[in-house]
Amino acid sequence: MSFKKKQPDIVLFLTTFLLLSIGVIMVLSASSYHAMLFYDNPYHFLKRQLMWAGLGIISMFFFMNFDYYKTKRLIVTGFIVTLVLLVLVLIPGVGINVKGSSRWLGVGSLTFTPSEIVKLAIVFFFARAMSMDTEKIKNFQGFLSYLAVLGIVVALLLLQPDLGTTIAVAGTAFCMFIAAGARLSHLFGLAFTGVLGVIGLIIQEPYRLKRIVGYLKPFETASNEGYQTVQSLYALGSGWLFGIGLGNSRQKFLYLPERHTDFIFAIIGEELGFIGVFLVILLFFLFIWRGYRIALYAPDRFASLLAVGLTSIIAVQSVINIGVVTGSLPVTGITLPFVSYGGSSLTFSLIGVGILLNISRYCHK
Amino acid sequence: MVSVTMKKRISFIFLTSALLLGLLVVRTAWIQFVMGKELQAKAIDSRLRNIDVKAKRGIIYDRNGSPLAISVSADSVYAVPSQVRRSNRIDEIVNALSQVLELDKEEVRDKLNKKVAFQWIKRRVSDEKIKQLKELDLPGINFVEENRRYYPKGKLAAHILGFAGIDNQGLNGIELTYDKELRGVSGKIMIEYDAAGREIPNAMHQYIPPVDGHSLYLTIDETIQYIAERELDQVMKIKQAKRGTIIVLDIKTGDILALANRPVFDPNNFADYDQGTWRNIAISDAYEPGSTFKTITAAGAMEENVVKPTDRFYDPGYIKVGKETVKCWRSYRPHGSQSFVEGVQNSCNPVFVTVGLRQGKDRFYKYLEGFGFGQKTGIELPGEATGILVPKSRAKDIDLATMSIGQANAVTPIQLIRAVAAIANDGWLMKPQLVKEIRDYDGKLLKKIEPEPVRQVISKNTSEELRAILETVVSEGTGKNAYLEGYKVAGKTGTAQKILPGGGYSSNEYIASFIGFAPADHPRIAALVIVDSPQGVYYGGQVAAPVFKNVVLDTLRYLEVPPEITGEAKFMEEKIIVPDVKNKKINIVTKELKSLGLKVQVEGQGDKVIIQLPPAGSQVIKGSTTILYTQDENSDQVVVPDLTGRTIKEASIILSELGLEMAPQGSGLAVIQEPQPGSKVDKGTSVRVKFLSPNEEHHEETIGP
Repeated sequence: MSFKKKQPDIVLFLTTFLLLSIGVIMVLSASSYHAMLFYDNPYHFLKRQLMWAGLGIISMFFFMNFDYYKTKRLIVTGFIVTLVLLVLVLIPGVGINVKGSSRWLGVGSLTFTPSEIVKLAIVFFFARAMSMDTEKIKNFQGFLSYLAVLGIVVALLLLQPDLGTTIAVAGTAFCMFIAAGARLSHLFGLAFTGVLGVIGLIIQEPYRLKRIVGYLKPFETASNEGYQTVQSLYALGSGWLFGIGLGNSRQKFLYLPERHTDFIFAIIGEELGFIGVFLVILLFFLFIWRGYRIALYAPDRFASLLAVGLTSIIAVQSVINIGVVTGSLPVTGITLPFVSYGGSSLTFSLIGVGILLNISRYCHK
Repeated sequence: MVSVTMKKRISFIFLTSALLLGLLVVRTAWIQFVMGKELQAKAIDSRLRNIDVKAKRGIIYDRNGSPLAISVSADSVYAVPSQVRRSNRIDEIVNALSQVLELDKEEVRDKLNKKVAFQWIKRRVSDEKIKQLKELDLPGINFVEENRRYYPKGKLAAHILGFAGIDNQGLNGIELTYDKELRGVSGKIMIEYDAAGREIPNAMHQYIPPVDGHSLYLTIDETIQYIAERELDQVMKIKQAKRGTIIVLDIKTGDILALANRPVFDPNNFADYDQGTWRNIAISDAYEPGSTFKTITAAGAMEENVVKPTDRFYDPGYIKVGKETVKCWRSYRPHGSQSFVEGVQNSCNPVFVTVGLRQGKDRFYKYLEGFGFGQKTGIELPGEATGILVPKSRAKDIDLATMSIGQANAVTPIQLIRAVAAIANDGWLMKPQLVKEIRDYDGKLLKKIEPEPVRQVISKNTSEELRAILETVVSEGTGKNAYLEGYKVAGKTGTAQKILPGGGYSSNEYIASFIGFAPADHPRIAALVIVDSPQGVYYGGQVAAPVFKNVVLDTLRYLEVPPEITGEAKFMEEKIIVPDVKNKKINIVTKELKSLGLKVQVEGQGDKVIIQLPPAGSQVIKGSTTILYTQDENSDQVVVPDLTGRTIKEASIILSELGLEMAPQGSGLAVIQEPQPGSKVDKGTSVRVKFLSPNEEHHEETIGP
């Protein structure tokens, strides 16, 4: 095992930086109108995005150079702290409830969402556990114990409720199970149970059922359930090959909801056309290619699983986000990594990239 | 080192992710390229809010191009309620709107609290109030120009024009029947708004201009209509009648030159009038025509040769029909022995009953139907009635007898005048016309409506014979009060007892009428005068005939129909043809005319002749005066000409050439005018001119049997 440091993966770095840049520009374009209306400042969201991106880049550089092995000792403690935070956020009076979801902790304007930490925490936790005992995942009991941990996290997230993070966490964990060598029968069983679980969740909450109706029949329900999907398709459809020009989006005039967060991809499609959309998807392709490549050539199992998890966070979120925007999936509430306005989540995504870049320095290829 | 299995699995994850991203690329391309155009159209559609721009409703002109119904624009006030609410000034806005527009505060507040994108506050508001509101600059309160229908002549021809509602939709009269042509096609202003109803920066504006409605040129002649209305007003006033109708028809073409009813309404504010006044009784109400119908009985009988003008009849004051007796109107002093012509002159019931019975049922009904009774005339107005005929299958001799004298059957005034016009028109029944031309907004002719002959009911011969007989009704018989100086008139009086609503005849309410045409030898116009329930004397010859005379005399003069007979011998004198001096310099013209032996009178202070009287080409006696009207072209002011001695037609030409309006009063020749001749007024000023008939002093109301 070589500990000689190399140059970090430059492609991954540049890809991330490009996505981040596109994001900053598009956040400004998408948000300036309503920022002006509601905050009297068209740069309200841009300012914050730049701040978090700046903080994120600093963190990225820090984790790029920080010896991630030193974190290994802190993983269990960190994971437990994360679980505590997830519990705290649910307690009325401690967690801040916005629009029916208890997602925030903090005082005044200093708030953060434990959901963001949980993605990193579970990746670290599983990477550590699965690399310490390589055979555990292969037997049914071992597989169940991982599932139990995942189940606790998922349950806590659903209680907020935060469907988006739940899906991201579950998807990422599933990728790690595959990579770690879980049995195919177990994986299929889990997938099947997962589908049943999702159906159960849908039936349980009427608003989720509405989302499904809106997904299946967006134009028939364009004034209620299908509204977001329809407005998103309107934006994309207006773009054609070259788009209607940067800053010229019409759908951003309050038609498209979550225009600078979950649906920013639609604004890209509207303003920059297929060219812009293709570029963004291409960048994500490059990102996951480099990310999984780092996993392949990682110096050890822990680093490899860590890289799989960190890359999968981005892969799962980007695929689901674009799937939602294009009406291919029901609306879930997942942002587009690096691009969407996201506050602290952007910083955490960049920390993830920093760790990935860090691993890439130890790759043997 | 990472195990081979793990490498395979990582590769699998990567490939799956890449595949999914690839599918998303395809999906996006599908949305953008295949569904794109449709989605974009829908997106634009969802962002645009439409404001309708109403087309300008077409103008309705009389046959000479004088406007009878026009569209004027006025601003309307509307609110975008969400903008008002967002301004947080709703109380202030409610107060301002209710104060300026004189509206109830709560009503305004309710309107502003509605969850709509567009809400009218008040339509068609005066300029002054709009100015006040615009100065207040209230958020969310906007203005849009709308057209309002305006009838510049007020009640004139109200029943023909009908009226249009607040949304410029034709509701009655020609406005309704020609609504499609007049309405035009609405345009749109489309403005892009944000999802909350705010106009967005660099918003897309689309303007689809409205296509203005077509203009109609009616067959109505404003001047003749005016004459009819004037005479109708007068008789209604003097006789304190309940209702009245005058129709003037062009015999050759079927053109309706005038149609007036009383009671009447002002189409400018039709809603303020009782709905009953909207009713066009000339076409919607059937009545028993009485003796005026005897013209039809005579026409059929003569055409079928069952009677000759010289046939002798004896009137004992009544006639027996089976077991029933039909009395003559003058049974107290029977007409005794008389020829058919005298019988017509006397309007003798037994004569017509005899003639009717001679025809028999089949032939009688042939002419009833031939002349168009019991059928709609097809006049282009809403609500035409068919009238009620005694069903042929049920008609007995007594029905035939009463029908022959104009009872038992109910006809509409328009049916009657059309039938009588056919008698005058060599037997040709015409479709009554109201519209001559349809032109588009730029004046391009779209459709010319030609006279429409329906059928020939009687021969030319019969027509001529009957015309001569009817002329004697006026010269010798019951219609003497319709006698016109200078013209031969044919006509027939009518006095019918009104039918009570429950059936039976009223003992004290009558319908006095006169129908006729002139000149009798070469008929030009037919006119029908009906006075419903006159007080005092109620005979058609006394009540309706003088009205008929005034209407027809003024109309013939206005139409410049040359008088046929004159009481004075004409001296042979040297005639001079007046040269055309229009648009020439006044000093040159004066010399030219003087050298021809004409006197010259100059009106106005311009140096160019704009009107000459008599017109170029007229033959005048040497030494007579030519009047030259001049105008300074560069001024908006004109000098009021001296109109003394001018006919209505002459005065109206002179004034309109000068750019002035005329408000005529009376009939005959001009005697007094206001403003005075020589005074300077703005173009468009209305000059009141009083006309007096030259024989006014001899004209008196005849009262008596």
